[in-house]
Amino acid sequence: MSIRTRWQIQVVAETERSELYRTWSDGGGLFGWLSVTTHQAIGMRYIVTAFIFLLLGGVEALAMRLQLARPENGLLGPDRYNQIFTMHGTTMMFLFAVPVMEGMGVYLVPLMLGTRNVAFPRLNAFGYWMYLFGGLLLYISAFTGTAPAAGWFSYTPLSGPQYSPGKGVDVWAQMITFTEISAMCVATELIVTIFKLRAPRMSLNRIPMFCWGMLVQSFMVIFAMPAVMLASTVLLLNDRTIGTHFVNPAEGGDPLLYQHIFWFFGHPEVYIIFIPALGMVSAIVEAHSRRGVFGYPAMVLSLVANGFIAFGLWVHHMFATGLPQVAEAYFTAASMMIGITSAVQIFCWIATLWTGRLRLTAAMHFVFGFLFIFVLGGLTGIMLASIPFDLQVHDTFFVVAHFHYVLIGGALFPLFGGFHHWFPKFTGRMISEKAGKAAFWILFAGFNLTFFPMHILGLKGMTRRIYTYPADLQWGADNLLATIGAFIIAIGGIVFIANVLWSRKHGARADNDPWNAGTLEWAAASPPEKFNFAHIPVVGGRYPLWTPSEQQGLVVGMRNDRREVLVTSAMDAEPHHRLVLPRSSIWPLLTAIGLAIGLVGSIFAFSWYYLAAALGMIGFIGWFWPHKPVEVRP
Amino acid sequence: MTPSNTLDVAALPPYSISSKAPLWWGQILLCVIEGSMFCMLIAIYFYLRLGVDVWPPPGARTPGVATSSIALVPLLASALGSYWASEAAKKDDRRGMILGLALNLALACLFLLFRYLTWSGLNFNWASNAYGTIVWSILFLHTFDLVADLLFTLVLLVIVAAGRSGPKPRLGVHVDSVVWYFLVGIWLPLYAVLVWGPRVVGVSQ
Repeated sequence: MSIRTRWQIQVVAETERSELYRTWSDGGGLFGWLSVTTHQAIGMRYIVTAFIFLLLGGVEALAMRLQLARPENGLLGPDRYNQIFTMHGTTMMFLFAVPVMEGMGVYLVPLMLGTRNVAFPRLNAFGYWMYLFGGLLLYISAFTGTAPAAGWFSYTPLSGPQYSPGKGVDVWAQMITFTEISAMCVATELIVTIFKLRAPRMSLNRIPMFCWGMLVQSFMVIFAMPAVMLASTVLLLNDRTIGTHFVNPAEGGDPLLYQHIFWFFGHPEVYIIFIPALGMVSAIVEAHSRRGVFGYPAMVLSLVANGFIAFGLWVHHMFATGLPQVAEAYFTAASMMIGITSAVQIFCWIATLWTGRLRLTAAMHFVFGFLFIFVLGGLTGIMLASIPFDLQVHDTFFVVAHFHYVLIGGALFPLFGGFHHWFPKFTGRMISEKAGKAAFWILFAGFNLTFFPMHILGLKGMTRRIYTYPADLQWGADNLLATIGAFIIAIGGIVFIANVLWSRKHGARADNDPWNAGTLEWAAASPPEKFNFAHIPVVGGRYPLWTPSEQQGLVVGMRNDRREVLVTSAMDAEPHHRLVLPRSSIWPLLTAIGLAIGLVGSIFAFSWYYLAAALGMIGFIGWFWPHKPVEVRP
Repeated sequence: MTPSNTLDVAALPPYSISSKAPLWWGQILLCVIEGSMFCMLIAIYFYLRLGVDVWPPPGARTPGVATSSIALVPLLASALGSYWASEAAKKDDRRGMILGLALNLALACLFLLFRYLTWSGLNFNWASNAYGTIVWSILFLHTFDLVADLLFTLVLLVIVAAGRSGPKPRLGVHVDSVVWYFLVGIWLPLYAVLVWGPRVVGVSQ
């Protein structure tokens, strides 16, 4: 029998297990469903909702590509085109990319750390509802004729009251508030979970790489997201609705101020999306090359350094705005510097693959796709860091090509790889490897066919955000190729979805650890039980499932009749106390509804903020109202 | 399973009213979020100042030095009430919690009275010009946070006074003090910017 025996077949008395089931159950029916606070359920809701938004954003991308397929096309008018590219960017950044990474983190981090839920389960539920309401707000208003049309960044003065009348931009600004509150909830609870709820003896140098990724990402969310809420809600919305003058040059304001604040968030945002993806790459590479990642300390330090440097890059989005040259030079240097910490990680993965015993699964295919595409995107990033080059291609399709290489290559391919890798854990069934590899090759080919020609279009001078172009500029052929590529991506997406739906029902049964991986999520059942672990594990190494049997242990003495988790010290994970988590509750949903009413109203009048505050207050009081003392007796 | 492979935690307490509690960490992060927002507001203040020759604009009556400075006394003292309540919460001293929270609330309300006097002394509003916009934004957001936390403090006081002073409300009192220290502490740089800013970096007409 393998060394994994002790955790995989946890010998737990049936009465003990059924008591745990009762304690951790969310209750049945619609009320129970709305009151859910288990992290797997909420993580999966994030992931599924985000994938629905990915489909919407993808359809918008196809509409744009159809319009640009040939010169002087009349399929979409300029206004509709503006709305669609705004919705595409907004959806992909705020409603897909960040939430899907948060969802993966919410699902996987507690499992990887050997605990039973996140530190603040109700906050977790509340965050999901805020995200959902934000997405609904944007799409309901778009379908009822008030779509924003000023780009995903809503630059002033274009987005100001003078040039963007109507409520579209206001809806956009408040949607940001919803999604950023959600992101900050997840960031807070993940940081605390990672620092305080780790399994005993999982000292800082034993945290799985994916959890390091989520930790760095969460800190970035904490420092970056207040900026975008300030930019959208305080600067933009107040200027539009109550006549403040942040960005009004006639009264001493400055439109560039908005750009500074927006990009102080907007640049870290890219890293917020792709640092969790780097963690996924590490997890996949470790499991499928069957060894620990090469250079763990270098990898962790590079992730942390990425997190810091990312805050020193924002001005490279503004090189064309006429800032002082000394400042620009600094941001050029910083933009090139991040190439170093990124390259350290790439080389460490290559070394891991080189020295491991590689298994070419579908998940690994996506990792190789990531390495190829992301390195190309990184190289064009270094090019763009150079100011003379940037000024030449600023606002052209070269930039569009660059950031799709970075974002799709750097985040979407690892995400898809991660999805194939953790699918057995999510569903208890194996995903079809053959269909997974087919989906990879179609997506890989389609991606390069779509976005590679855009480099050339950009060098030829095709600007972004134009709805059509004259035939004599000779841009038609490259654009047609890109459109064909976009439809190939769509086919790849369909194959992926079909594979997921089919494998969910008909895939081979997966055991707890089908990949013989080393991290703790593979010690839980597939799919995990609501309490994850009947006994919390005591870990003996960085890869607990690969450590010798005599170093593996179990925690005993936790009570099963209430939701107990073990709080451990931040550095060495020595047990400190048994925390009793709150029960499932409808209050997070009610609080989110109350805040949503007020925030939607604030689009029309400032006074609705007071209603939001009052309803939110009532919600929080219900949420925190102390229960009977049974929850805390020793 | 051998005993050497098990770790018995039955003897550990089911809660901790200290900086070891996850909720304490969560509150610290909340303060960091708020803090980064206020830091950015300070940056915006000076960014806007750089964009004009005359700051504050001619005729604007800046927040008064005397009222704003005297107001610091009850504000800083209110943190002592908070500290008293927090220490009492650790020792499960219900009377101490009630007195500390009440002192905190009373002194904070006195501070809000001064805040009202400062604010009503301004002869411009958020829509007057960029200076008015940033001054009103900082005052509004800080006051909003103060009032929100005071209402929560009031709710805690009611809960504790009503006899529900179990570990959860006690932890609530403890972490509430963290937020209050933050709101008091962050006012010091904001006060310096709003009150002394125009006098140090301003150019009069």
